[in-house]
Amino acid sequence: MSSRNHQQDKETMNCAEFQAKLPELFESGVDVSNDPHVKSCENCAALVRDLEYIASQAKLLLPIHDPSPKVWENIQSAIRGNDGPKEPVGAAKRL
Amino acid sequence: MNAEPHHAKIVQHMRRNPPIEGEAEAISRAQAGDSKAFETLYALHKRRVYSLCLRMLGNVAEAEDLTQEAFLQLYRKIGTFRGDSAFSTWLHRLAVNVVLMHLRKKGLPQVSLEEALEPSQDDGPRKDIGERDLMLSGSIDRVALERAVENLPPGYRLVFVLHDVEGYEHNEIAEMLDCSIGNSKSQLHKARMKLRDLLRSGERKESLV
Repeated sequence: MSSRNHQQDKETMNCAEFQAKLPELFESGVDVSNDPHVKSCENCAALVRDLEYIASQAKLLLPIHDPSPKVWENIQSAIRGNDGPKEPVGAAKRL
Repeated sequence: MNAEPHHAKIVQHMRRNPPIEGEAEAISRAQAGDSKAFETLYALHKRRVYSLCLRMLGNVAEAEDLTQEAFLQLYRKIGTFRGDSAFSTWLHRLAVNVVLMHLRKKGLPQVSLEEALEPSQDDGPRKDIGERDLMLSGSIDRVALERAVENLPPGYRLVFVLHDVEGYEHNEIAEMLDCSIGNSKSQLHKARMKLRDLLRSGERKESLV
């Protein structure tokens, strides 16, 4: 496909066609908000902004949950039960 | 959306893996068998490992079990850590593997991944084309996003958490999940679309209250 035909194709793309191509567009790294269809379609522009917003907010999700104290108790118990803490002979000196 | 500049990736990595004071010493001592040092490592990393398990599994009891399993594996394997990557990166990859192993044993990944790849009403071009589409417009908070992630189907949730939250690349996810890079990309997109639906329906409910 020539670049001119490709451009025409983009300009005449309808919403269904655009949305079918959206995953590929996002992954290609192009600025999707500059796509001719987005510039002329309010719905698809909102969709693109939302998906970009979700991806950007996900990066900000920090660890916020702590396990219950029981988890550490179980770990300690399993370690003791299996082979016990291996306290090296020289540990006290190093500390 | 995926072609982040390299420095942005580094910034994200540093934000998620900041240097931790005393960690290097605790690692050395734990490698030498010091149980107190191992406890220090647990205290430093429990929150992130548990949050990762919880987000991948969406179930508190399973997340606690697998956090426990991940740290027991850490106890057994810490001697093999050579410092080629940041300790947190190494530990979190270990935790991801523990979760994926658990899911494979349950038979969930194949089912959920295949289900997620089946076309459904959620996946195709939207049916409300032409309908005025309200934008999220920066109004969602992180609690709402956390809740929406919890409500994603398991296959979508795995890829979304690994890529968008944890920052793994599609080639790494494809290797972990034993699927193609294309599948990983496709599921990520579907996950974001599903999240948008969940968030917008949450907004509508709130506006009705």
